[in-house]
Amino acid sequence: MNSRLLNGLAVAVLLVVPALAHHSFTMFDMTKQVTVVGTVTGFEWTNPHCYIEIDATNESGTVKHWSIEMGSPSILQQGGWKFSSLKKGDKATLVINPHKSEPGGGFLFSATLPDGRVLGNGPGRGPQK
Amino acid sequence: MKKFLHAALAVSTLLPFAIGQSPKNPPDLTGVWSPLRATGEYAKFAPPAAGPLVLKPEYSKPYEARRAMEAEASKRGEPLATGGAQCIPYGVPTMMRIASYPVEILQLPKQITIIGEAFSEVRRVFMDKPQAPVDDVAPGYYGRSAGHWDGDTLVVDTIGIKPSVNGYLGMPHSEKMRVTERFKLLAPDVLHDQITIEDPVVLEKPVSYTLAFRRMPDYEMVEFVCDNNREYVDEKGIVRMRVKGQ
Repeated sequence: MNSRLLNGLAVAVLLVVPALAHHSFTMFDMTKQVTVVGTVTGFEWTNPHCYIEIDATNESGTVKHWSIEMGSPSILQQGGWKFSSLKKGDKATLVINPHKSEPGGGFLFSATLPDGRVLGNGPGRGPQK
Repeated sequence: MKKFLHAALAVSTLLPFAIGQSPKNPPDLTGVWSPLRATGEYAKFAPPAAGPLVLKPEYSKPYEARRAMEAEASKRGEPLATGGAQCIPYGVPTMMRIASYPVEILQLPKQITIIGEAFSEVRRVFMDKPQAPVDDVAPGYYGRSAGHWDGDTLVVDTIGIKPSVNGYLGMPHSEKMRVTERFKLLAPDVLHDQITIEDPVVLEKPVSYTLAFRRMPDYEMVEFVCDNNREYVDEKGIVRMRVKGQ
């Protein structure tokens, strides 16, 4: 995909990440975006963060597992998410910022749900409701 | 009886406070209040700029050094541990503004309760009791709050915040810290909370800042129980993330 465009987007959103409730997000590389296409193995609607667990299969057939951090239920529901938006077995496409030092860790930017809807991850990250 | 009521009504109109603003009939702050974005029609409700934070010299140097260290660690992508990252609540006054989370105010004549959605924090403001001496309050996250109406402004006095509770902008504070808040409606659905922090031990002079809120009539508060915290603090004091299956 057009990585220059993605990098440009990442720089733009970096400036509008809101004050944080739980922890600093500098552990994620906001200059880099990775697209993860795979099968959801879990969707945790919990505090302080929601998580998408997803298995992505690459071209050589290797499965890589990702734990993708999101905002909290309160922040996400304002962006159109529900506790039932994803379930085990769903196919989803996630755009994420990878963790700088934990392989398989990432912070969601946007998610394409099985019904085609694209949802963001709180103010300044992806499509807004 | 009717005649008496008429007379009482006539007298009440002569009282110094307008109806709805007297201590016996104060403005109703009950409701859910979200951080106000001062744009568009709300631009005129932007809070005034915060006053400077001036610490006594013996506190200022370590504070600046700590802030610099935090900024440097954060830049490296290795943020230093905070209470928040460990799901420790924020306490007074920081809990009044956590990211974009709302607070809910429940106003009764004898007690005003303020619930912060983030971390489900609860403050109780006693309206019918005097404030206690600071040495009589067990230090905690919310301390002890006593309130009264100053015309149409709710004044809340809070003491008894323990020094380990995260301070405004991460400032250190002592058990002598006093937080005075003035809650005032600027419009029926716009609220300002002017917060003044005094600390004779740590601060050179009081520091003030104002938070602006917008009433959210249809919002239903969301529960917040921090039972899935995947961030942990390593032996170097750095916040790390647990990835499943790693």
